Amino acid sequence: MPNLIDFMERATSGPIVVEDEFNLKRLIPNTRKIVKEYNITYSPENPVAADDSLADRLFEAAIEFIIRTGIYCDDTNRVIQIEKDEIIHALQNLPDGSYFGEGRDRNKFVSRRLDDERKPWCHVGTGIVASSEDIALAQVDGYGRVPQANSISIPAFNRIREMQVIGGSPLEIHAASRAVQAGRKALTNAGHPGLPIMNLISSATTSMGTIAGSHPAFGLRPSDGWLIDFLAEMKVNFETLNRLAFIQLTGGNIGSTALPILGGFAGGAAGTALVMTAYYLLGILLFQGTYHLTCPVHFRYGCTTTRDSIWVLSVVGRAASRNINYPDIALGYAAAGPQTRMYFYEAAAFILSSVVSGFGGVQTVHPAKAIIEDGVTPLEASFCAELAHRFAGKQADEANELVNMLLEKYEHRMEMPPSGKRFQECFNLKTEKPTEDYQKLYADVKDELISMGIT
Amino acid sequence: MEKEKILENLAFAIVEGDEDKAVENAKAAMEAKLDPLETVENGLSKGMDDIGEKFGKGEVFLPELLMAANAFKSAMEILKPELEAQKMQTAQKGTILIGTVKGDVHNIGKDIVSTVLETKGFNVVDIGVDNDTLSIIQEAEKAQADVIALSCLMTTTMPAQKEFIEVLEEMNLREKYFVIVGGGPVTQEWADEIKADGYGESAVEAPVLVKELIRKK
Repeated sequence: MPNLIDFMERATSGPIVVEDEFNLKRLIPNTRKIVKEYNITYSPENPVAADDSLADRLFEAAIEFIIRTGIYCDDTNRVIQIEKDEIIHALQNLPDGSYFGEGRDRNKFVSRRLDDERKPWCHVGTGIVASSEDIALAQVDGYGRVPQANSISIPAFNRIREMQVIGGSPLEIHAASRAVQAGRKALTNAGHPGLPIMNLISSATTSMGTIAGSHPAFGLRPSDGWLIDFLAEMKVNFETLNRLAFIQLTGGNIGSTALPILGGFAGGAAGTALVMTAYYLLGILLFQGTYHLTCPVHFRYGCTTTRDSIWVLSVVGRAASRNINYPDIALGYAAAGPQTRMYFYEAAAFILSSVVSGFGGVQTVHPAKAIIEDGVTPLEASFCAELAHRFAGKQADEANELVNMLLEKYEHRMEMPPSGKRFQECFNLKTEKPTEDYQKLYADVKDELISMGIT
Repeated sequence: MEKEKILENLAFAIVEGDEDKAVENAKAAMEAKLDPLETVENGLSKGMDDIGEKFGKGEVFLPELLMAANAFKSAMEILKPELEAQKMQTAQKGTILIGTVKGDVHNIGKDIVSTVLETKGFNVVDIGVDNDTLSIIQEAEKAQADVIALSCLMTTTMPAQKEFIEVLEEMNLREKYFVIVGGGPVTQEWADEIKADGYGESAVEAPVLVKELIRKK
């Protein structure tokens, strides 16, 4: 299997094209042609895809798409070309899972089959910016106490002594180190010091920040997980590859990460599903990842819970589950924020779709598109993790019916979703419990979902 | 071929993003001695309006917009000599300079906004990604921009939007340009805090926002 140096050789000697030409002459036409050739069709009435033949065609189509398109290196303006044999060989040599965490919090993360009764891996928390260390500590402490938690996402910091953190500056290095240290401290406080942090490094936006924040003195261990992103779409740059080189050399778990834009270069739902599936294969081959984190992000609404986004998520999950053993986490963004009914409807639809589509794991759904500072609490995380376990073993057809019922409740509100409350507005910082109002809303929503047959 | 038919074919070729057909019909328009300005407005621009409308309704996506814009540019190359010979100018709706700020290489959101603005007839100068503040100002001066649109996808590159507005003020250029901001982590609250002139949550809002600002000029 080629390694990173082999790929660097291709990134410096492959066909040279300007980026616009790569988009207009390779990426877009290949996506359109292959979607037609393999008959990848979106059916809005069935947001939870249950068609195995479609899923298998999608998987084959993704291999063909990579071979015809390659992946573009922004820094050299060259296309890294990939052979079919290389993909097949990489798939055949995948391990059956990977270990994360330490001590009694150590677990093996494996991929799941469709309708699998095994509980999905629960990746709890978000990288949403926390305005202070106190809030970050309280949030992560709460995540660590979610009983289903297998791994944690820690918040990002964007201020140091009231100075806005600038990417590539010493402030970024300080923010990266502080976030990591706060995350580890909070997990220790929660009684789970061994739980793996798997969104590293949340406060780093440059490879320098990632490398600096990964120093063992700050508390990270190779059994944590580092996210390495593809650029949208089908692109990498030296920043990405520098991160990758460092994590590969230090033996950490690599989480290949791809968030294709639904409505972006890949076009609509079918094209986005094609590109999203291709990223799994590139994550295995190019990044040599140990897990994959993914979701489509809707170009207009910035979330993952629209009808077409859910279809993309479910058909890609099905394709991956049926064809490869690469542990994957479905990452979700809701349009609505904490302490809103809409958030819980969206989160339930997302978690249900992910679990029945064979995702190995689910991440607790980010509220309000993850853009509101302090806009998340452990209660949303707890809700998602609880549902993820309950939904294990459910069938796609039943899920489809339930997701349609949930969509009816929220999809008309996508243009103007309620942004909800911030952590300090709906959580008591001293007791680390939700406010009475929030507890009441939560209980009401749960009753409603039970009456719909959802929990 | 009749005038109406040529213009209709031209608009259709743009909507379809068919570069060859757009060029072919632009040539047919010139051979039939159609008024070049009318050919642009009722053929090419009509097609761009139609595709822009479909994008707004979620019926088409970025690839269709990019292909339409590409077909539009190629057809314009055919019409340009005649427009220049007759000293005609297409209606100018204003010039927008767009780019991502220093340290941010994420271009997809910026590309969508840029293409949407083009489809609505604005003159868009796209300076790409990772631009430092002074370069953006230099480019805006060169382009004689009306509006500067700054995009970023990361919380750590948001400060560059703030810095840009502060530097414009320091250089006494703040009144010269409207500055609008957007991108994943950007909110109306942030736009207000840094005293930007506008913010759009999605690309669809950009033409309305820009039109409104330019109207105030």
